[in-house]
Amino acid sequence: MSRRARLCVLAAGLLATAALLVAAVLRVPSFGGPWHPYGDRAVEAALRRNTANTVSAVNFDQRAFDTLGEESILFASVLGTVVLLRRTEDERTSEPRPVSVPATMRRYGIAALPVTLLVGLYVIAHGQLSPGGGFQGGVVVATAFHLLYVAIDYPALKRVRAVGLYEIGDALGEAAYVLTGVGGLLAGAAYLANVLPYGTFNTLASGGTVPLLNAAVGVEVASAVVVLLARFLSQALEIEGGRE
Amino acid sequence: MADPAVDDVLIVASLLFVAAAATAAVLNRDPARQAVVLSLLGLGLAVLFTVLQAPDVGLSQLGVGSALTPLMILLTVRKVRRQRERRDGERHGGKRRG
Amino acid sequence: MNGWLAAAALLLIAGVGPSLWNAARGAPGRRVVAQNYATLLLCLVFLLLAQGYGRPAYVDLALVLSVLGPAGTLVFARLLLTGEEAGEGGEPPGTRRLTPVVAVGTAATVLPLCVVTGPGRATVKLLVIGALLLAGGVATTRAVRHG
Repeated sequence: MSRRARLCVLAAGLLATAALLVAAVLRVPSFGGPWHPYGDRAVEAALRRNTANTVSAVNFDQRAFDTLGEESILFASVLGTVVLLRRTEDERTSEPRPVSVPATMRRYGIAALPVTLLVGLYVIAHGQLSPGGGFQGGVVVATAFHLLYVAIDYPALKRVRAVGLYEIGDALGEAAYVLTGVGGLLAGAAYLANVLPYGTFNTLASGGTVPLLNAAVGVEVASAVVVLLARFLSQALEIEGGRE
Repeated sequence: MADPAVDDVLIVASLLFVAAAATAAVLNRDPARQAVVLSLLGLGLAVLFTVLQAPDVGLSQLGVGSALTPLMILLTVRKVRRQRERRDGERHGGKRRG
Repeated sequence: MNGWLAAAALLLIAGVGPSLWNAARGAPGRRVVAQNYATLLLCLVFLLLAQGYGRPAYVDLALVLSVLGPAGTLVFARLLLTGEEAGEGGEPPGTRRLTPVVAVGTAATVLPLCVVTGPGRATVKLLVIGALLLAGGVATTRAVRHG
């Protein structure tokens, strides 16, 4: 196809998309209005299952299968990154030198690690009650470990972080989510249906399967991010040589 | 409970902040310095989501944009620059063009 | 007139706005200091928003930012201010003022919020956030000056 023909096809496609977009925008409700039919139904369903955080109820109860897909995307992309960033035969590893840092930074790194870890676990555990959940808390947990790298140095991080453990954790988190869904099948309902007792509203034990799926996602996200950063750090700080 | 005028001021301020940060991020060409502006863009988005009453999304944005994304960007930049320096060092005195 | 929301808007426009201006231009040191100011001031903005909207759940945003904000600044201090990107020596402008500004801002925000919230777990959470902000400010200032 000649260049002109390609541009004509592009123009036709863009015009059609623009027409559809304009038609849709003209029917959009006004900004910030009170009319939201899906929102009303989602909140009502969440409250019926005693889940205080409607977003978590939508993520892990009403649309739990979509969240399985999203978690799998993270899992697969980390897997792909690990393959891409592995050490090939023509590259070699050099031992990173320890860096001398001021005592203030060293103390902050050592003190902030458990605090950040606790904050992350708190956010994961309260996913069904307040804003947060498995993904947000998992990222905070993973960042907690890397405080050792930014506040002290890379050998300090390597001493504390056993990468194999997190690779296992990543797979376990993914598997736990899938298998919890099977529990729904075993109880006679649909896959990933909320079959556990709903508990008391606004307590940690509420929402049925939501806390369980939340925890599975938390484990998976934290492990996946640690593994991902381990590969980036290794390539940037340790591995040398190789062709382009 | 919330005064609608101040509410609007907050929303407009956050929107303008996000727009300014995004423009600044595009105008900064060096990836290492761009990472700083991207960090601020992430913070602006988190505020925008919060004043539009979406704290879950805001928390996700904070988690990912504060430390994780800058770390990945800067490590990549460091790796690429080290490789380029090594390649330039090996080619010292050679005739091959870059 | 909701005082808390007004204070949040003021802090956002007058505090975080100039930080963007400084973060977008100039030497790396100046940018990192600006990012530092932005994260710590934004944490206070989240605390004020939580009180202004009457939604204590938003305090979790401030809690997460109080630990992840300094972590982000330390990332920049480690990877941008040392190594090849490091340019001129000397302290970036505004470094010495950061800890006093954070101390004053934190005290001015956390103490009235504690008074309004009353004794209980929520107040402990607010005090923890204040302590984390101060510790983060001290550690990041030290990191920026070391780099």
